[in-house]
Amino acid sequence: MADTVVSLRTLEKGQKAVIAAITAEGEMGRRIRDMGLVPGVEVQVMGRAPLEDPVALRLLGFTLTLRNKEADFIAVRA
Amino acid sequence: MAAAQNIIAIAGNPNSGKTTAFNRYTGSRQRVGNYPGITVEKKEGTANVDGRSVTLVDLPGTYSLTAYSLEEVVARRVLAEDRPGAVLDVVNAGVLERNLYLTVQLLEMGVPVVVALNMMDEARAQGLSIDVKRFEELTGVKAVPAVARSGEGLEEALRAALALADRCDGRSAPLEISYGTDIDAALKEMTPLVEKAGMLAGKFPARWVALKYLEQDEDIMAQGRAASRDVSDKLAEMTGKVAAHVKVTLNTYPEALIADYRYGYISSMLKQGVVKGAE
Repeated sequence: MADTVVSLRTLEKGQKAVIAAITAEGEMGRRIRDMGLVPGVEVQVMGRAPLEDPVALRLLGFTLTLRNKEADFIAVRA
Repeated sequence: MAAAQNIIAIAGNPNSGKTTAFNRYTGSRQRVGNYPGITVEKKEGTANVDGRSVTLVDLPGTYSLTAYSLEEVVARRVLAEDRPGAVLDVVNAGVLERNLYLTVQLLEMGVPVVVALNMMDEARAQGLSIDVKRFEELTGVKAVPAVARSGEGLEEALRAALALADRCDGRSAPLEISYGTDIDAALKEMTPLVEKAGMLAGKFPARWVALKYLEQDEDIMAQGRAASRDVSDKLAEMTGKVAAHVKVTLNTYPEALIADYRYGYISSMLKQGVVKGAE
Protein backbone atom coordinates (compact mmCIF):
# COMPACT_ATOMS: atom_id res chain seq x y z
CA MET A 1 0.00 0.00 0.00
CA ALA A 2 1.34 3.41 -0.93
CA ASP A 3 1.83 5.65 2.03
CA THR A 4 0.25 8.96 1.19
CA VAL A 5 -1.84 10.54 3.90
CA VAL A 6 -4.85 12.33 2.49
CA SER A 7 -8.21 13.57 3.70
CA LEU A 8 -11.02 11.04 3.61
CA ARG A 9 -12.96 13.53 1.49
CA THR A 10 -10.62 13.01 -1.45
CA LEU A 11 -11.22 9.25 -1.81
CA GLU A 12 -12.97 7.95 -4.92
CA LYS A 13 -15.93 5.61 -4.87
CA GLY A 14 -14.75 2.04 -4.30
CA GLN A 15 -11.38 3.13 -2.96
CA LYS A 16 -10.06 1.55 0.24
CA ALA A 17 -7.86 3.23 2.83
CA VAL A 18 -6.69 2.87 6.40
CA ILE A 19 -7.42 5.60 8.92
CA ALA A 20 -4.21 7.37 9.93
CA ALA A 21 -5.51 10.02 12.32
CA ILE A 22 -8.64 11.71 13.60
CA THR A 23 -8.01 15.38 14.05
CA ALA A 24 -11.42 16.42 15.36
CA GLU A 25 -11.57 17.32 19.03
CA GLY A 26 -14.38 17.69 21.52
CA GLU A 27 -17.83 16.37 20.75
CA MET A 28 -17.25 15.75 17.08
CA GLY A 29 -14.08 13.81 17.83
CA ARG A 30 -15.92 11.74 20.39
CA ARG A 31 -18.78 11.07 18.06
CA ILE A 32 -16.49 10.02 15.22
CA ARG A 33 -14.64 7.62 17.51
CA ASP A 34 -17.84 6.21 19.01
CA MET A 35 -18.83 5.17 15.49
CA GLY A 36 -15.72 3.02 15.24
CA LEU A 37 -13.61 5.42 13.20
CA VAL A 38 -10.19 5.13 14.83
CA PRO A 39 -6.63 4.88 13.50
CA GLY A 40 -5.83 1.51 11.97
CA VAL A 41 -9.36 0.73 10.79
CA GLU A 42 -9.86 0.01 7.10
CA VAL A 43 -12.61 1.93 5.32
CA GLN A 44 -14.01 1.72 1.82
CA VAL A 45 -16.03 4.42 0.09
CA MET A 46 -19.32 2.85 -0.99
CA GLY A 47 -20.78 5.87 -2.64
CA ARG A 48 -21.54 9.54 -2.56
CA ALA A 49 -24.75 11.46 -2.75
CA PRO A 50 -25.30 14.08 -5.44
CA LEU A 51 -23.16 17.14 -4.69
CA GLU A 52 -20.65 14.71 -3.13
CA ASP A 53 -22.18 14.95 0.33
CA PRO A 54 -22.74 12.82 2.35
CA VAL A 55 -20.32 9.97 1.80
CA ALA A 56 -21.16 6.34 2.58
CA LEU A 57 -18.39 4.25 4.11
CA ARG A 58 -18.00 0.59 4.81
CA LEU A 59 -15.98 -0.37 7.90
CA LEU A 60 -15.92 -3.18 10.45
CA GLY A 61 -18.81 -4.87 8.66
CA PHE A 62 -21.30 -2.01 8.60
CA THR A 63 -22.09 1.04 6.51
CA LEU A 64 -21.77 4.53 7.91
CA THR A 65 -22.66 7.83 6.33
CA LEU A 66 -20.64 10.95 7.03
CA ARG A 67 -20.83 14.56 5.99
CA ASN A 68 -17.82 15.93 4.17
CA LYS A 69 -17.22 18.40 6.96
CA GLU A 70 -16.83 15.38 9.26
CA ALA A 71 -14.75 13.46 6.72
CA ASP A 72 -12.35 16.42 6.63
CA PHE A 73 -11.21 15.53 10.14
CA ILE A 74 -10.24 12.03 9.12
CA ALA A 75 -6.82 11.48 7.58
CA VAL A 76 -6.31 8.20 5.75
CA ARG A 77 -3.46 6.30 4.17
CA ALA A 78 -4.47 5.45 0.64
CA MET B 1 -26.88 0.98 48.72
CA ALA B 2 -27.17 -2.71 48.06
CA ALA B 3 -27.71 -3.88 44.54
CA ALA B 4 -31.17 -4.94 43.50
CA GLN B 5 -30.75 -8.57 42.58
CA ASN B 6 -34.09 -8.78 40.87
CA ILE B 7 -33.41 -5.84 38.60
CA ILE B 8 -31.65 -6.53 35.33
CA ALA B 9 -30.77 -3.64 33.03
CA ILE B 10 -30.71 -4.23 29.30
CA ALA B 11 -28.00 -2.29 27.50
CA GLY B 12 -26.96 -2.14 23.87
CA ASN B 13 -26.29 -0.05 20.80
CA PRO B 14 -29.17 1.37 18.80
CA ASN B 15 -30.33 -1.33 16.34
CA SER B 16 -28.73 -4.15 18.30
CA GLY B 17 -32.12 -5.74 18.93
CA LYS B 18 -32.13 -4.53 22.52
CA THR B 19 -35.72 -3.35 22.44
CA THR B 20 -36.87 -6.45 20.55
CA ALA B 21 -35.37 -8.51 23.35
CA PHE B 22 -36.98 -6.30 25.99
CA ASN B 23 -40.38 -6.65 24.34
CA ARG B 24 -39.99 -10.41 24.09
CA TYR B 25 -39.15 -10.65 27.76
CA THR B 26 -41.83 -8.40 29.10
CA GLY B 27 -44.66 -8.69 26.57
CA SER B 28 -47.37 -6.31 27.69
CA ARG B 29 -46.03 -6.03 31.21
CA GLN B 30 -44.33 -2.69 30.51
CA ARG B 31 -44.40 0.76 32.01
CA VAL B 32 -43.19 3.74 30.08
CA GLY B 33 -42.30 6.98 31.80
CA ASN B 34 -39.64 9.62 31.78
CA TYR B 35 -36.53 10.17 33.82
CA PRO B 36 -37.20 13.15 36.10
CA GLY B 37 -36.70 16.44 34.34
CA ILE B 38 -35.53 15.12 31.00
CA THR B 39 -37.13 13.73 27.90
CA VAL B 40 -35.35 10.41 27.79
CA GLU B 41 -37.87 7.59 27.90
CA LYS B 42 -37.75 5.23 30.83
CA LYS B 43 -38.99 1.76 30.03
CA GLU B 44 -39.43 -0.89 32.65
CA GLY B 45 -41.15 -4.22 32.58
CA THR B 46 -41.45 -7.46 34.43
CA ALA B 47 -40.59 -10.94 33.34
CA ASN B 48 -41.01 -14.27 34.98
CA VAL B 49 -38.03 -16.58 35.15
CA ASP B 50 -38.51 -19.95 36.82
CA GLY B 51 -41.23 -18.53 39.04
CA ARG B 52 -39.16 -15.50 39.97
CA SER B 53 -40.42 -12.04 39.14
CA VAL B 54 -37.69 -9.92 37.55
CA THR B 55 -37.78 -6.21 36.78
CA LEU B 56 -36.15 -5.32 33.49
CA VAL B 57 -34.96 -1.80 32.77
CA ASP B 58 -34.48 -0.96 29.11
CA LEU B 59 -31.55 1.46 29.09
CA PRO B 60 -31.45 4.04 26.30
CA GLY B 61 -29.62 2.68 23.24
CA THR B 62 -26.12 4.15 23.12
CA TYR B 63 -22.84 3.54 21.33
CA SER B 64 -20.78 4.64 24.27
CA LEU B 65 -20.96 5.61 27.94
CA THR B 66 -19.40 9.03 27.74
CA ALA B 67 -21.40 12.12 28.58
CA TYR B 68 -21.87 12.92 24.90
CA SER B 69 -25.65 12.59 24.92
CA LEU B 70 -28.37 12.67 27.52
CA GLU B 71 -29.04 9.01 26.76
CA GLU B 72 -25.51 8.10 27.75
CA VAL B 73 -25.66 10.13 30.96
CA VAL B 74 -28.96 8.48 31.85
CA ALA B 75 -27.67 4.97 31.15
CA ARG B 76 -24.69 5.65 33.36
CA ARG B 77 -26.75 7.09 36.18
CA VAL B 78 -29.12 4.13 36.19
CA LEU B 79 -26.16 1.79 36.47
CA ALA B 80 -24.55 3.81 39.25
CA GLU B 81 -27.60 4.80 41.25
CA ASP B 82 -30.23 2.12 40.72
CA ARG B 83 -27.53 -0.52 40.77
CA PRO B 84 -29.21 -3.31 38.86
CA GLY B 85 -28.07 -6.78 39.87
CA ALA B 86 -26.57 -7.32 36.45
CA VAL B 87 -26.59 -5.92 32.94
CA LEU B 88 -27.66 -7.92 29.94
CA ASP B 89 -25.73 -6.37 27.09
CA VAL B 90 -27.38 -7.07 23.75
CA VAL B 91 -24.82 -6.91 20.95
CA ASN B 92 -25.23 -7.35 17.24
CA ALA B 93 -23.00 -10.33 16.53
CA GLY B 94 -22.58 -9.24 12.90
CA VAL B 95 -20.79 -6.04 13.95
CA LEU B 96 -19.18 -7.28 17.10
CA GLU B 97 -16.16 -5.01 17.03
CA ARG B 98 -18.19 -1.85 17.05
CA ASN B 99 -20.77 -3.12 19.57
CA LEU B 100 -18.11 -4.23 22.03
CA TYR B 101 -17.04 -0.61 22.46
CA LEU B 102 -20.04 -0.19 24.77
CA THR B 103 -19.42 -3.58 26.41
CA VAL B 104 -15.86 -2.65 27.28
CA GLN B 105 -17.09 0.56 28.87
CA LEU B 106 -19.62 -1.33 30.96
CA LEU B 107 -16.84 -3.62 32.13
CA GLU B 108 -14.59 -0.65 32.91
CA MET B 109 -17.35 0.65 35.18
CA GLY B 110 -17.30 -2.63 37.06
CA VAL B 111 -20.92 -3.60 36.46
CA PRO B 112 -21.62 -7.34 36.15
CA VAL B 113 -22.28 -8.08 32.49
CA VAL B 114 -23.71 -10.97 30.50
CA VAL B 115 -23.50 -10.59 26.74
CA ALA B 116 -26.32 -11.71 24.47
CA LEU B 117 -24.76 -12.29 21.04
CA ASN B 118 -27.82 -11.26 19.11
CA MET B 119 -28.61 -11.71 15.40
CA MET B 120 -26.51 -14.86 15.33
CA ASP B 121 -28.63 -16.05 12.38
CA GLU B 122 -27.63 -13.00 10.33
CA ALA B 123 -24.01 -13.28 11.38
CA ARG B 124 -24.02 -16.89 10.22
CA ALA B 125 -25.66 -15.91 6.95
CA GLN B 126 -22.88 -13.35 6.42
CA GLY B 127 -20.40 -16.20 6.76
CA LEU B 128 -19.19 -15.15 10.20
CA SER B 129 -18.47 -17.69 12.82
CA ILE B 130 -18.08 -16.61 16.43
CA ASP B 131 -16.26 -18.78 18.91
CA VAL B 132 -18.35 -18.15 22.02
CA LYS B 133 -16.09 -20.17 24.31
CA ARG B 134 -13.03 -18.26 23.14
CA PHE B 135 -14.83 -14.96 23.66
CA GLU B 136 -15.69 -15.97 27.23
CA GLU B 137 -12.14 -17.08 27.95
CA LEU B 138 -10.64 -13.83 26.72
CA THR B 139 -13.14 -11.46 28.33
CA GLY B 140 -14.18 -13.42 31.40
CA VAL B 141 -17.74 -12.53 30.45
CA LYS B 142 -20.52 -15.06 29.92
CA ALA B 143 -21.92 -14.89 26.39
CA VAL B 144 -25.12 -16.44 25.08
CA PRO B 145 -25.89 -16.70 21.34
CA ALA B 146 -29.37 -15.37 20.64
CA VAL B 147 -31.87 -14.37 17.99
CA ALA B 148 -34.14 -11.80 19.63
CA ARG B 149 -36.62 -11.80 16.75
CA SER B 150 -37.44 -15.48 17.25
CA GLY B 151 -36.67 -15.59 20.95
CA GLU B 152 -33.86 -18.09 20.56
CA GLY B 153 -31.39 -17.94 23.44
CA LEU B 154 -33.19 -15.14 25.26
CA GLU B 155 -34.31 -17.22 28.21
CA GLU B 156 -30.85 -18.63 28.69
CA ALA B 157 -29.35 -15.14 28.51
CA LEU B 158 -31.68 -13.74 31.16
CA ARG B 159 -31.12 -16.77 33.36
CA ALA B 160 -27.37 -16.22 33.08
CA ALA B 161 -27.79 -12.55 34.02
CA LEU B 162 -29.84 -13.51 37.09
CA ALA B 163 -27.32 -16.12 38.14
CA LEU B 164 -24.61 -13.47 37.86
CA ALA B 165 -26.69 -11.02 39.88
CA ASP B 166 -27.06 -13.64 42.60
CA ARG B 167 -23.33 -14.24 42.70
CA CYS B 168 -22.21 -10.62 43.04
CA ASP B 169 -23.63 -7.61 44.78
CA GLY B 170 -24.18 -5.46 41.72
CA ARG B 171 -20.45 -4.98 41.27
CA SER B 172 -17.72 -7.02 39.70
CA ALA B 173 -14.01 -6.34 39.43
CA PRO B 174 -13.68 -3.54 36.86
CA LEU B 175 -11.88 -4.37 33.64
CA GLU B 176 -8.51 -2.63 33.75
CA ILE B 177 -6.96 -2.21 30.35
CA SER B 178 -3.82 -0.35 29.41
CA TYR B 179 -4.26 3.04 27.73
CA GLY B 180 -0.58 3.45 26.92
CA THR B 181 2.31 4.62 29.08
CA ASP B 182 1.26 8.26 29.53
CA ILE B 183 -2.32 7.57 30.57
CA ASP B 184 -1.40 4.53 32.65
CA ALA B 185 1.18 6.55 34.59
CA ALA B 186 -1.35 9.30 35.24
CA LEU B 187 -3.96 6.80 36.39
CA LYS B 188 -1.47 5.32 38.79
CA GLU B 189 -1.05 8.70 40.45
CA MET B 190 -4.66 9.81 40.27
CA THR B 191 -6.44 6.65 41.39
CA PRO B 192 -5.04 6.70 44.97
CA LEU B 193 -6.18 10.33 45.34
CA VAL B 194 -9.72 9.36 44.38
CA GLU B 195 -9.59 6.37 46.71
CA LYS B 196 -8.22 8.30 49.65
CA ALA B 197 -10.87 10.98 49.35
CA GLY B 198 -13.58 8.38 48.88
CA MET B 199 -14.71 10.44 45.92
CA LEU B 200 -17.88 8.93 44.40
CA ALA B 201 -17.01 5.73 46.25
CA GLY B 202 -19.86 3.25 46.15
CA LYS B 203 -20.97 4.66 42.82
CA PHE B 204 -17.96 4.20 40.58
CA PRO B 205 -14.57 2.47 40.82
CA ALA B 206 -11.73 4.87 41.71
CA ARG B 207 -9.66 4.15 38.60
CA TRP B 208 -12.72 4.76 36.47
CA VAL B 209 -13.31 8.17 38.10
CA ALA B 210 -9.68 9.07 37.38
CA LEU B 211 -10.15 7.88 33.81
CA LYS B 212 -13.20 10.13 33.41
CA TYR B 213 -11.16 13.13 34.58
CA LEU B 214 -8.61 12.30 31.90
CA GLU B 215 -11.44 12.10 29.37
CA GLN B 216 -12.65 15.50 30.64
CA ASP B 217 -16.06 14.03 31.32
CA GLU B 218 -18.12 17.01 32.48
CA ASP B 219 -20.79 15.01 34.27
CA ILE B 220 -18.31 13.09 36.43
CA MET B 221 -16.13 16.17 36.99
CA ALA B 222 -19.16 18.05 38.31
CA GLN B 223 -20.05 15.19 40.63
CA GLY B 224 -16.42 14.98 41.74
CA ARG B 225 -16.25 18.72 42.43
CA ALA B 226 -19.38 18.50 44.56
CA ALA B 227 -17.90 15.58 46.50
CA SER B 228 -14.46 17.06 47.09
CA ARG B 229 -13.37 20.37 45.68
CA ASP B 230 -9.67 20.04 46.55
CA VAL B 231 -9.19 16.59 45.11
CA SER B 232 -11.19 17.52 42.04
CA ASP B 233 -8.94 20.53 41.40
CA LYS B 234 -5.85 18.37 41.85
CA LEU B 235 -7.17 15.75 39.40
CA ALA B 236 -8.01 18.44 36.87
CA GLU B 237 -4.53 19.87 37.23
CA MET B 238 -2.93 16.47 36.65
CA THR B 239 -5.16 15.95 33.62
CA GLY B 240 -3.97 19.28 32.25
CA LYS B 241 -0.36 18.14 32.55
CA VAL B 242 -0.98 14.85 30.73
CA ALA B 243 -2.98 16.66 28.06
CA ALA B 244 -0.14 19.12 27.46
CA HIS B 245 2.38 16.28 27.33
CA VAL B 246 0.52 14.12 24.81
CA LYS B 247 -0.26 17.19 22.72
CA VAL B 248 3.45 17.85 22.32
CA THR B 249 4.68 14.27 22.02
CA LEU B 250 1.85 12.57 20.13
CA ASN B 251 -0.21 15.51 18.83
CA THR B 252 -3.34 14.07 20.39
CA TYR B 253 -5.33 14.43 23.60
CA PRO B 254 -6.10 11.99 26.42
CA GLU B 255 -9.70 11.24 25.47
CA ALA B 256 -8.70 10.23 21.95
CA LEU B 257 -5.85 8.08 23.22
CA ILE B 258 -8.15 6.29 25.63
CA ALA B 259 -10.67 5.55 22.87
CA ASP B 260 -7.91 4.27 20.58
CA TYR B 261 -6.69 1.87 23.24
CA ARG B 262 -10.21 0.63 23.92
CA TYR B 263 -10.66 -0.21 20.26
CA GLY B 264 -7.17 -1.69 20.20
CA TYR B 265 -8.10 -3.95 23.11
CA ILE B 266 -11.24 -5.09 21.29
CA SER B 267 -9.65 -5.69 17.92
CA SER B 268 -6.71 -7.61 19.36
CA MET B 269 -9.10 -9.75 21.38
CA LEU B 270 -11.24 -10.53 18.33
CA LYS B 271 -8.16 -11.43 16.34
CA GLN B 272 -7.30 -14.13 18.86
CA GLY B 273 -9.69 -16.56 17.25
CA VAL B 274 -13.06 -15.12 18.31
CA VAL B 275 -14.40 -14.15 14.90
CA LYS B 276 -13.73 -16.02 11.70
CA GLY B 277 -15.11 -15.48 8.24
CA ALA B 278 -16.27 -12.66 6.02
CA GLU B 279 -14.48 -9.30 5.92
